[in-house]
Amino acid sequence: MSEPRYRAAVSDTSPWDTTGYWGPTDAEQHPAVRLVRERFPAAFQEVVAFRDEVTIRVARQALRDVVDFLRTHPELRYNHLTDITAVDMLYLRERPRFDVVVQLYSIPRRQRLRIKCGVDDGETVPSLVPIFAGANWLERECFDMFGIVFEGHPDLRRILLPEDWDEGHPLRKDYPLRGYRDYVQPGFEAPAPRIRGTLRRPGP
Amino acid sequence: MIDFSQPTPVILSEVRLITPTRRELVLNMGPQHPSTHGVLRVRLTLEGETVIACDPVIGYLHRGVEKLGESHRYAQFVPWTDRTDYVAAPSNNLGYVLAVEKLCGIQAPERAQYWRMIMAELTRIASHLVWLGTHALDIGALSVSLYTFRDRELILDIFEKFCGARLTTNMMEIGGFSREIPPDLPEMVREFCRYFPKAIRQYEDLLTENPIWLARTKGVGVIEPEVAINYGLTGACLRGSGVNYDVRKAMPYLLYDRVEFEVPLGTHGDVYDRYLVRMEEMRQSIRIIEQCLEQVPTDGPLMAYESPYVIPPHKNVMTTAEDMQRHFIWVIKGFSPPKGEVYHAVEHSKGELGYYIVSDGSPIPYRLRIRSPDFVNLQSLPYMAQGAMLADIVALIGTIDIVLGSVDR
Repeated sequence: MSEPRYRAAVSDTSPWDTTGYWGPTDAEQHPAVRLVRERFPAAFQEVVAFRDEVTIRVARQALRDVVDFLRTHPELRYNHLTDITAVDMLYLRERPRFDVVVQLYSIPRRQRLRIKCGVDDGETVPSLVPIFAGANWLERECFDMFGIVFEGHPDLRRILLPEDWDEGHPLRKDYPLRGYRDYVQPGFEAPAPRIRGTLRRPGP
Repeated sequence: MIDFSQPTPVILSEVRLITPTRRELVLNMGPQHPSTHGVLRVRLTLEGETVIACDPVIGYLHRGVEKLGESHRYAQFVPWTDRTDYVAAPSNNLGYVLAVEKLCGIQAPERAQYWRMIMAELTRIASHLVWLGTHALDIGALSVSLYTFRDRELILDIFEKFCGARLTTNMMEIGGFSREIPPDLPEMVREFCRYFPKAIRQYEDLLTENPIWLARTKGVGVIEPEVAINYGLTGACLRGSGVNYDVRKAMPYLLYDRVEFEVPLGTHGDVYDRYLVRMEEMRQSIRIIEQCLEQVPTDGPLMAYESPYVIPPHKNVMTTAEDMQRHFIWVIKGFSPPKGEVYHAVEHSKGELGYYIVSDGSPIPYRLRIRSPDFVNLQSLPYMAQGAMLADIVALIGTIDIVLGSVDR
C-alpha cells in the first residue's frame, strides 16, 4: 500500500495556536479547569479539548454558580457572555436529552471557555440572567427552539416564533424539517399538498 | 477606562409587563415602519412623549436557518449564510468557512487569506455605508444616504467583478477561493482606496459638526462600559462605550496580525460616539486593504487543494480519473469532518459573528448555531430607551445597526 495521496494539511499541530492567544492545548493545564475542579469537586464532570477549545461539563444545578465563579475569580474574569445555546443529543446518546452550551469570553485575558451541562426533558436549568443581563434573549431563544426551561428567568416566553405557536420546538431533532402542518391563512384555500420529507440523517 | 481588576458589576435587566396606567399609552411601532430597518416591531409604553418601557418584538423574518443548516451538507450551507445578514454577505461567508476549516483542521493558502481580508474589509465599509445612510435618513439628514449609496455601488462593482453577484455573493468556499482573481481586480480595489477617503470627508462635512446632528445624537442612548459588557454587546456598540474588544486584535484570525490598524474607541457611549467609531473603522479598513494589496502574493494557489476536505481543482477533475471520482463523491456525499465541536468568531461589521458547529462525523452538521451580533446587541434597546423621548427611538434603533435577517435568522 502506498501512502494516500491526499491527507489533511494539518493533523497533529493545529494551525490555530499560531496567534498565541488561544491558550494551551492540554486542557488539564487550563487555569479555569483546575480552579473549577477545586472549587466544585462534586459538580465537575469532565473536560474536553478539541482544536484548542476547552469545554467543561458540569452538573446542571451548579451551572449558575460555576459561571459566576468564572466571572468573578481574579485569575479568570470571564466577564463577557458570548452565547447560550443548546444541542439536542437525541441521536448521540440516551440521556440526558439536551446539552446547554454557554460560551464565555474573558476580555482582559483574551480567552474563551465553553461550559456545558446536560438537561433532560422536564428538568430545569438555573438561569444566567441574575449575573448576565445579556442572557435574557439568548435563554428565551433556547426555550423557544428547544423547550428548555430556565429557572429564575424573569420573562421566559417565545421570541422568534409567534407567541401562540402550538407545534412544539423546532430545533428538536424529532421536529420535521417542514413542520407538522401547513399554515393556511384564514379566508384562503389550503395549499397544495407537498412532499414532506422527514429529516433523514446518515447513521452515526 | 474600565478597571478589570474588579468583577464587572451585574446589571439587573428590568422586565416590565405592559399594563398601562391611566397616564400611560401603549404605542405599537412597526413591523412595517420605515425606520425600523426591516420588520422590527417595538411596543412602547409612553407617558407623554417619554418612553417608560420598550419591548422589541422580533421574529417576523425567522426562516429557521439553523434548522436548515442541520439538513444541508457543509458546503451547501455557504449560500445560506449570505441570507442572514444580507448587507454584509462576504463576512458571513467568512465566519462560516473559517469555522468549518477550523473543524477540519485546514488552512487556506496565504494568497486566499489576504483576499479574504480584502473582501471582508470592503464588506465592512459597504455595511457601514448602508448603516450611515439609513441612520442619517432616520434622524432627518436625507442627503447623506444619496452619497453613501453612490459609494457603496463601487464596492458592489468590485464584488460583481470578483464573483458575479452583488448582494448574495456566495464568495468564499471551504478551503479558499475556487475562482481565480480577475487580473484587473487589484487595480479596481486600489482605485477605490484612493477615492474613498475623500468620500468619508464628504460625509463628515455633512454630519460631524452639523448642529442638528449633534443635538439628535450627543448624550442620547448612553451605554456605560459595565453595562455594555454585562449585556454581551460587541462591535461598535461595545467599543463606543470605550471597551477595547475587537476580535481582529484580541484573537487574530486570517492574517490580521500582519497588518497594522487601530481600534477606535468612544468615550461617552452615546449615539454620537458610536457614529465616530464606525466612521473611523471605515478609515482603518482602507488602511488594512492597502496593506493587504501590498503584501498579497500576485501568484500562488487560492485553494487548499492538498486537503481531502476540499473540492479538487476543476482541471484535474476533467483530466484524471482519481480526481473525477473524488469530485463525484465530494458533490454527491459531501465530506465528513472529524467528530467534535468548534466555535469560531469573526469581527463582522456589526460585532462578533460566531459559528458554533457540532459534528458527529457525518457530512451534515449535527448542530449549527449562528451567534449573530445584532440579536445580542438589540437587547440593549430597552435599556437605552428607558426615559428617552419617543423621537429618539429611531436614533437608538439606527445606532445598534441591526439587519433583521441576521436578528431573526
